[in-house]
Amino acid sequence: MRENEDRVALVTGGGKGVGAGVVKALCGAGVRCCINCNANPDMAENTLRLVREAGGEAFIFQADVSDPAQVSAMVDAVVERYGRLDILVNNAAMQPNKYIDEYDAASLQRLWNINIGGYWRCAKAAIPHLRRSPLGRIVNMASVHANRPTCFDAGYSMTKGAIRMFTRELALELTRDRITVNAITLGGCRIEFKTGHPKWDMKSPLEVGNPALRGVSRLVEPGEVGQTVLFLCSEAASAITGDCIRIDRGLVLV
Amino acid sequence: MEKQTIVITDLRTQEARDALACFAAQGWEAVAVPEDVCLWDEAALSAFARPFAETLTAVIHPAPPLLVCGFEQADEALFERAGNEGAIAAWCVTKVFGGIFREKGSGSLIYLNSIHAEKPVGRGFLFSMGCAAAQMLAREANQDYGPDGVRTYFVQRGISQDDPDGRSDVSPLYFGVDLRYPSRRMPERGSLNALLAFLTTPAAAPLMGSDLRADGGMTMYYGHRRKVEGREYYERK
Repeated sequence: MRENEDRVALVTGGGKGVGAGVVKALCGAGVRCCINCNANPDMAENTLRLVREAGGEAFIFQADVSDPAQVSAMVDAVVERYGRLDILVNNAAMQPNKYIDEYDAASLQRLWNINIGGYWRCAKAAIPHLRRSPLGRIVNMASVHANRPTCFDAGYSMTKGAIRMFTRELALELTRDRITVNAITLGGCRIEFKTGHPKWDMKSPLEVGNPALRGVSRLVEPGEVGQTVLFLCSEAASAITGDCIRIDRGLVLV
Repeated sequence: MEKQTIVITDLRTQEARDALACFAAQGWEAVAVPEDVCLWDEAALSAFARPFAETLTAVIHPAPPLLVCGFEQADEALFERAGNEGAIAAWCVTKVFGGIFREKGSGSLIYLNSIHAEKPVGRGFLFSMGCAAAQMLAREANQDYGPDGVRTYFVQRGISQDDPDGRSDVSPLYFGVDLRYPSRRMPERGSLNALLAFLTTPAAAPLMGSDLRADGGMTMYYGHRRKVEGREYYERK
């Protein structure tokens, strides 16, 4: 897409899973990307290789989004390398899969510090640069757990609910800068692995024997999420801000 | 209404103080968590709660006072404070008192929160994040503790009595605040007391797990088409 030729994006947690799908979609459209990773640099290297094989431009920056100094250094590195920053995709998060009783204050504070603190820190560091962009965009990866309780991970749901309101508040504050801020509430997505382990044997609706649910039981592909992010970052989506777009094949409607 | 034993976790908002006074006036045992008990310190809160375990019937956990802070003004210290006061405290209260109710097989957890869990106002994004986190926690607690007889309710009050004249540079929510209500006046002090009292009782069981918006209709009201004599709709007070 011509409108993306000079644009630059930072994708946190962009080395694997949903983040990698977003990186590939953006780079495939001509956006130059910083692939942020922390715990899995090998997977980020693989994503970078795939991007370059497809003719895209990207680089990797390893940083822990819970550390403000590392976040600041990462944004500085993007601007130093490419001279600008137009798009921030907040995606890096962890999901411990704990019940309410299984958290303690320290583990919940750590989750809060990464899952919502990381989004806030990256936005704070990126916004001065997004203000200089003709199409400044922030996309926050949330989850269907931002609205729907599932006894899946109470702490994770709390942080995703917080991202829902972070998105709305930030969208409101940034309307005067013409920066749009949106969230994606994502359902089950095909990724390599999760940071936590569900304590029960998860079954899709199809597996529990209702063939009428065949359509919703298929996992969302990271590339599909990437295409939605690409749209939200386009000029055509300039009127959409403060929204949460659900991508789950309709599963929460069941 | 049957006599209840109620703990209110935080008296820093007027709504919480009004509820405590109302419950005490009708002869209920209503106790506030002392200010020196940190609400996100599980051990300290458990030590406070233990003597009430046998008789306790309901806990009301109010949201903290609105932390006025735009995005530009937020720093690491404010972020940590808002997270502890809004989200981590709600979790700790849920775990401690929800655990007591789970053992007893009954009890109400009432989150006296704010429309900020849904409505952005552009002057308290850290506060709003905490409200939304507490909202999701209430829903998760309904899933997790509900089967053991624990009833959870999430009440979204409107603009706090503590904050009637707040200002935002980016939202008209607070401009001509009385005109934001269909009735053209803010709800009076104590107007939530009857709702809170009802939610403490088993009669409210059909509402468990629900979000109850108790904001005088303001969030769903966009101003009357008729002009109010002498007032513009968005007139600053």
